[in-house]
Amino acid sequence: MRLENVWLRYHRRGPWVLRGIDARISPGEVAIVLGRNGVGKSTLLQVAAGVLRPGRGRVTDRPARVGWVPERFPADQPFTVARYLTGMARVAGLGRAAADEAVHSWTDRLGLSAFRSVRLPELSKGTAQKVGLAQAMLRPPGLLVLDEPWEGLDAATRELVPELIDEVLAAEGAVLVSDHRGETVRLPAARRWLVADGALSEEASAADETIAVIEVAVPAARVAGTVARLRAEGHQVLRVRSDAANAAPQARPAEPPRSAGAARPAEPPLETAGEPTAEQPAATDAVVAPAAGEAR
Amino acid sequence: MSALVRIRLAGFLRTGRAVAPLLAGLVTLGILYGGGRAQPAEAYGVSAVVLFPVLAWQTKILLDVEPDVQRRLAQVTVGVARERFAGLLAAGLAALVTVAVALLFPWPVGGVSGPVDPGDRSIPVGLALGLWAHLLVVPAAVALGALASRASAGGAGYGVAVLALGGVGAVVLGLTGSVAPWLAPPLMATARTTAGDAAALTVLGLSGWALAWSAAVFGGYLWRRRAQG
Repeated sequence: MRLENVWLRYHRRGPWVLRGIDARISPGEVAIVLGRNGVGKSTLLQVAAGVLRPGRGRVTDRPARVGWVPERFPADQPFTVARYLTGMARVAGLGRAAADEAVHSWTDRLGLSAFRSVRLPELSKGTAQKVGLAQAMLRPPGLLVLDEPWEGLDAATRELVPELIDEVLAAEGAVLVSDHRGETVRLPAARRWLVADGALSEEASAADETIAVIEVAVPAARVAGTVARLRAEGHQVLRVRSDAANAAPQARPAEPPRSAGAARPAEPPLETAGEPTAEQPAATDAVVAPAAGEAR
Repeated sequence: MSALVRIRLAGFLRTGRAVAPLLAGLVTLGILYGGGRAQPAEAYGVSAVVLFPVLAWQTKILLDVEPDVQRRLAQVTVGVARERFAGLLAAGLAALVTVAVALLFPWPVGGVSGPVDPGDRSIPVGLALGLWAHLLVVPAAVALGALASRASAGGAGYGVAVLALGGVGAVVLGLTGSVAPWLAPPLMATARTTAGDAAALTVLGLSGWALAWSAAVFGGYLWRRRAQG
């Protein structure tokens, strides 16, 4: 699939969100779309999926079957999980028996079996997100577009997402995925598309680069923001740990937040595969591997 | 695409939002037929006029029930054109059910009578003219409701304005002596025809007018959908 000089804005006189995007993704490839909040990652993914039509330029060679997992699954619908998924399977062109089989298979695999007869508005955010994932996979897609697919998912399902991606790639499908949680470290062979100021640039694959590790000390209160910013810029945050030596009184807030780290200073450093929380020590060291393009 | 039509209709019925326009239609018909008996063709002509805004409102509700993201999911699955056509088809089917209710309504409540005077039309002819009058209203009402839907009009305020202007304009511009009757669907002209002399040429002309008006408004709807993205 190719995006050729794609421009997009939401209103006739509004600012351009995408400006002259040129990109290509081939069968068997996965690309991670990175960038800060509001730069147009979701917009780019929706253009690729065929949800949004470019104002200028065009998208060519889009596979016939596209699976799209939106950032927020629309759970405000009067259906149970099973009825919704069966309906979407029928909409995707599956016969009754094939639809039932696909729904059973995917609800089992995504841990939704117990929720089949639960109405969509009653689902938690994470469970609703699984339904969103299931509807995209009911028919094997030639292009799978995942907009923050890890958002709200439990650990087991988070592990499952790269597995699903691998299956799509193995069937000669292509995958586009956005992520601001750093979960895409699970996709080391992925191409990395960076969206900034409406333009797209491609970073060299992390697999092709020598990685350097930088240790950064930040005030504890800014840990979450710093980690999020580093990840948004494409860096891989390896871990966050407390640093008692740097936690000098003048650098310490008047009353540090009651935190697991502060209460257990001897605890080993936090591994940061998950999102850091407010429960951080007063001063921390973040260990960062730079983005592939900056590691030269 | 039939699966998408079914899922749209199921969503419309299961949310219970189908009840409001149905009740409004029944109340309107009750008032209409509560005043005494009339000849079927004449009564149905007026029934079609009063049903126009009800059917347009019903269409808007049906199209608005589906969350925007779900509509986009459907687009990704079946394509943009099919998604739009499925919505209109679902609205058309729902409108036909309401029309069927409207056609049956006057009989049990004694709102219509058979021929009384020698010049009166027979019941089958009256029924046929009534069916024609109602079927003429369906595409026009679905087109107006679609144009007023959230996916086309954008904000809720714009949608209500389109619906209100379209509903009132269809009656006002259709009055005898109107300066621009062609701006509205021929509801009033159809009612006058069913009450008077329904010549074949007049019936054909009004049918063409209604279809042309509906096509123009459907075109506006599709253009708005395209502009809205």
